[in-house]
Amino acid sequence: MSFSTLLLLIIAFSLCSFFFSSSSAFKKIKSATSRPSALPKHYGQYSLAWTLFPAFLLLIVFTIIGPIYVDNFFKQQIALTEASYDKAKIELVLAMIKNISNGSISSDEPKILKLADEYSNYLSKIYLFRTLSVLLLSSILGIIISSNINILKNSRVKVETFYRILFFVSAVIAIFTTVGIIASLLYESLRFFALYPFFDFLFGLHWAPNIAIRSDQVAAQGSFGMLPVLLGTILVALIAMIVALPIGLFSAIYLAEFASKRVRDIIKPTLEVLAGIPTVVYGYFAALTAAPFIRKIGMTLGLDVSSESALAAGAVMGIMIIPFISSLSDDIINSVPQSLRDGSLGLGATKAETTIKVVLPAAFPGLVGAFLLAVSRAIGETMIVVMAAGLSANLTINPLETVTTVTVQIVSLLTGDTEFDDIKTLSAFGLGLALFAFTLILNVIALVVSRRLSEQYD
Amino acid sequence: MVDKKNNLKFKTKNVSVFYGSKQAINKISLDIEEKQITALIGPSGCGKSTFLRCLNRMNDVISNCSVNGKILLDGNNIYSDEIDPVLLRAKVGMVFQKPNPFPKSIFENIAYGPRIHGIGNNRAELTDLVHHSLEQAGLIDEVKDRLDDIATGLSGGQQQRICIARAIAVNPDVILMDEPCSALDPIATAKIEELMSSLSKSYTIIIVTHSMQQAGRVSQKTAFFHMGDLIEYGETPKIFTQPDQQKTQDYITGRFG
Repeated sequence: MSFSTLLLLIIAFSLCSFFFSSSSAFKKIKSATSRPSALPKHYGQYSLAWTLFPAFLLLIVFTIIGPIYVDNFFKQQIALTEASYDKAKIELVLAMIKNISNGSISSDEPKILKLADEYSNYLSKIYLFRTLSVLLLSSILGIIISSNINILKNSRVKVETFYRILFFVSAVIAIFTTVGIIASLLYESLRFFALYPFFDFLFGLHWAPNIAIRSDQVAAQGSFGMLPVLLGTILVALIAMIVALPIGLFSAIYLAEFASKRVRDIIKPTLEVLAGIPTVVYGYFAALTAAPFIRKIGMTLGLDVSSESALAAGAVMGIMIIPFISSLSDDIINSVPQSLRDGSLGLGATKAETTIKVVLPAAFPGLVGAFLLAVSRAIGETMIVVMAAGLSANLTINPLETVTTVTVQIVSLLTGDTEFDDIKTLSAFGLGLALFAFTLILNVIALVVSRRLSEQYD
Repeated sequence: MVDKKNNLKFKTKNVSVFYGSKQAINKISLDIEEKQITALIGPSGCGKSTFLRCLNRMNDVISNCSVNGKILLDGNNIYSDEIDPVLLRAKVGMVFQKPNPFPKSIFENIAYGPRIHGIGNNRAELTDLVHHSLEQAGLIDEVKDRLDDIATGLSGGQQQRICIARAIAVNPDVILMDEPCSALDPIATAKIEELMSSLSKSYTIIIVTHSMQQAGRVSQKTAFFHMGDLIEYGETPKIFTQPDQQKTQDYITGRFG
């Protein structure tokens, strides 16, 4: 039986045990003389949890361990029959066996065919064992629990424990996923730094990963100094923040402090529409509308503007971030207590004076946090810069020139046919690690700054 | 003393306030004497705070609030178009129920109003003003060595006196107090009451209070509100000993409220 069928079956089992247990508890409570310690539904939930979760866990374990076990068994088999095979060859034969057994390729070697046959037999035996044990566990536990409902035992407390474990496991899964992502990033980066010196990467002024067009082409060893790329990222993010910060903050102030309810009801959803535009749309807006426009203005002013300028990408990215900043800031400004505003207004301050001198200083820690989050977002943003910023890594802070960003380089290094042990491909992981470290530092600063400042203001 | 006729600071005529379509107070006419303490008492929701907030147009802040009738401050209608509510509030200061010092230093809290109104042009003048205001608020000895500390770190009673000092610093004619002691303990309350008595020599004070004892202790005149109506207004001793209205009698003897 397949994974999903089994899962559906044990869910069905547990629902049955839920209804059976709760109705049996209901009957017992009705005829009981003493006060029961929990409601019928708690007995139901208790037996549902026991019917579902152990069997589910067993199912997961079998699904993960089973094939690994079979693979290992067959690797041993192959090694025994063909003593001359090395590790890579064994892997290859195993892959072949697997492919034959699920019918995607065929072979005319009788030895391989026999092994493939054995493989599928073995696997189906494992799966049969999985089906039987999971169903057995689920049904036995379900029957035992639901036929032994004791209303004097407080199952409410036990259900509580189950919930606690459930929530804890979810949190742990989230953490492990993060750890896994970071670990894979670190692992690939370390492979890169084994091929290329760490400090040359970190402080190098020249970025030219010269991708070979043909595999036999003798390409020059690429140069992987990340500073121009990092500088480009910072430049574009800075331009984005110069656009987004004042507009976002001021519109938040307007919405929170000045706008009447009617105006607010119109402007707020409109700003949220901006947040709903896919970044790829922003990207071609930047590439097809903003960049030529800026180039034209530059030309009338006698400036030499590149057709893929940092300014265009940054400005459009800024527009994308406006709703992010304005809605965060709006919430933060609204959380400043009304009593502070009243105090200031009661002294004869105007609304603007109150906002600038009382409300904003009180909201400042939260606002700093919001801005740094927005910066991290600008730095990690990919689609707009892929479409509107260039590919050539210029070490420049001139916003009218073409720059490239970390994300753009990662995309261009990893798209298309890539060899995953090539230095050019691996350098993308180095960039990814640098980007991750950079935004992590920013987020930590945001956290520390807002915590330190809010201590001061509380 | 009883026969002495004081100048009138506020004259109000038929003041009604609506929040949307709900009427909060109904045709209140009440004259308030200069340099006296006038107490507004009554059960919760009787409209006394609403009335108080009309006197410096703090109700303007509430979007669906509308005020009818006439309120004259020194003979000028404060709801006429020529009156700037911002300037009015500099003249009619306010102290709120919950102490609400700004999350700034003690000095900056007091200097906030003067700075906004351009009083005290240089640092020395401003420092004098801050010291003077704190002195008037009876707080100078407690805080003079730590003017740069954050005001929100003070005790509740001190915070409330900071708020009073802050209001005094802009040199108002009138100070409105909206239940200034309801969040304070008895000792802090006693200090504030003492302060009110001394301030009434130079300022007109109007206080909303839930505590009848407080009204009896500090005020010269008392107005009793009930369900948005002004039931009775007169000399405080008279209100508390021989009120004309049965409702007032019931309230001050604790039969409802």
